[in-house]
Amino acid sequence: MSAGYEGKQVLHEITFEARESAIYVVLGPNGAGKTTLFRTIAGILEPYSGRVLFDGNDLNRSKEARKKINYLSHYNALPEEMTVRHALDFYAKIEGGKTEDAISLLGLEELKDKKVSDLSQGQKKRVSIAKVFLQERDLYLLDEATSNLDPGVSKEIRDILLKLSRERIVLYSSHNLYEARDVGTNLLLVRNGALAYNGKISDLRSKEYRVGFRTATDISKIVDAKPEGGYYVMSFASPEDAGLTLKKLVDNGVIITEMRELDNPLQNLFEGRLSLSAGVLDDRETDGNVG
Amino acid sequence: MTIARRSLSLAKTYPVIAVVLTLVGLGLGASGTSHGISLGTIGAKNIGNATNSGGASTGIPFLAVPLQALAAMLFATPVVLLFVYDKNNGVLEYLLSLGMSQRDIYRQYLKAALILAGAIGVLDVIVDIVSGIISGTGSVLFQIPLLALILGLSVVSLVTVVMMSFSSLQKQRVGSNQPLGMSVGAFLVLPTYLIPFVVSSNAFLVDLLWAGIILAVSLVMFVASSRMISREKLLP
Repeated sequence: MSAGYEGKQVLHEITFEARESAIYVVLGPNGAGKTTLFRTIAGILEPYSGRVLFDGNDLNRSKEARKKINYLSHYNALPEEMTVRHALDFYAKIEGGKTEDAISLLGLEELKDKKVSDLSQGQKKRVSIAKVFLQERDLYLLDEATSNLDPGVSKEIRDILLKLSRERIVLYSSHNLYEARDVGTNLLLVRNGALAYNGKISDLRSKEYRVGFRTATDISKIVDAKPEGGYYVMSFASPEDAGLTLKKLVDNGVIITEMRELDNPLQNLFEGRLSLSAGVLDDRETDGNVG
Repeated sequence: MTIARRSLSLAKTYPVIAVVLTLVGLGLGASGTSHGISLGTIGAKNIGNATNSGGASTGIPFLAVPLQALAAMLFATPVVLLFVYDKNNGVLEYLLSLGMSQRDIYRQYLKAALILAGAIGVLDVIVDIVSGIISGTGSVLFQIPLLALILGLSVVSLVTVVMMSFSSLQKQRVGSNQPLGMSVGAFLVLPTYLIPFVVSSNAFLVDLLWAGIILAVSLVMFVASSRMISREKLLP
């Protein structure tokens, strides 16, 4: 399907199927069209062409079909003048479900009597996520669900999603490759409004995060680094691993004069330069039926 | 009811001004008693005639009608503020994702505005009846608050639909086109300031007809806007 706003096309002939219960990560840089894709799947935007079908029903035509899905926008969508409990009650009256269950699931007991407007951005996000879990649905669309959340809460949310994905289909958008790899099994890469890749995340060859250390001493005896162009270069699976190595070097009394990112797979992926082990994504744009 | 309650908690100044305006309206309406204009004795049709026989001052009670209609409009204005607020923070987007159509959403907010306008209008009627009983004049000029209620509901209906439509269509996330809506409302009640003085008889019926026209236009606007304004216009 193709879709957009006020006649301006944002999504270009995207086609994919999600048949298995799993987390499908929709990955792409800001402005790639992830939110537009979610809004179209949620039946909020009417596609310019094509259809979005869920269990054979057109989500844009059938109110009943739309009731089987839930969508977490990256706006919190909370009545800020209400307390957390009343805000969740407000939605529970509309869509059904039990407020107390959602409060318990997201650990909001301490916040439930506070006004939404008095909460931090991260707390609001948790309440916003809680409203999505008021009622069990067959399909969840979560647009950057863990943005603004601290690592601990992010992990809790991801754990909930992982549990949920055993029986449900979860579409989860992110612009963070490392998060995508932690959360999902399937990847939909959106670039410039088109689907650039659709396949297994395990096919991503992401261990290409290369960092160069400029040091006063030879560090190749402490860590697995190779001298290259004035740097000791190492490859990592993620920036977090680079941080651990940095700590190890400092703990060993190494004086680091410069630390430089030489190659970032996330950047490469977004810019279309990263090759996948499946050999699908390279410099060329691929169509939406890849994978 | 939830939307009506939320609206009142969001903006308290409008309801306060509306109540003050209502009290002024009630005072003007009651002034008819001092001129001997009692529906109990002369009937609704003769209120206009009383204007001829009693001079221009006997039309003064009718000024309560536009004042109370404006009060109803002010009392219901927070609903439109809430509509814009909910649009901007994604509540409307979420409601759409739950399967509501744009018409469902417009209807919910319109219903809330009418509940508020109706509440203050019914209060007018009750205060009039009670004060009539206490003063021993019976239901003096009972039809003035009744007319104000009907006109108020019509004006609120049209103004709310107009303001929601404009707010949906505006591209910039600023304000709620509230001054525009107020202007439309003030323009709509303008004729009712003049009717009792211009139309020498049947002022009540002319006012009623005018309220009916406004209501009909608001219904057409409601149907048209909920069909012609696409769902994406309700997105933040």
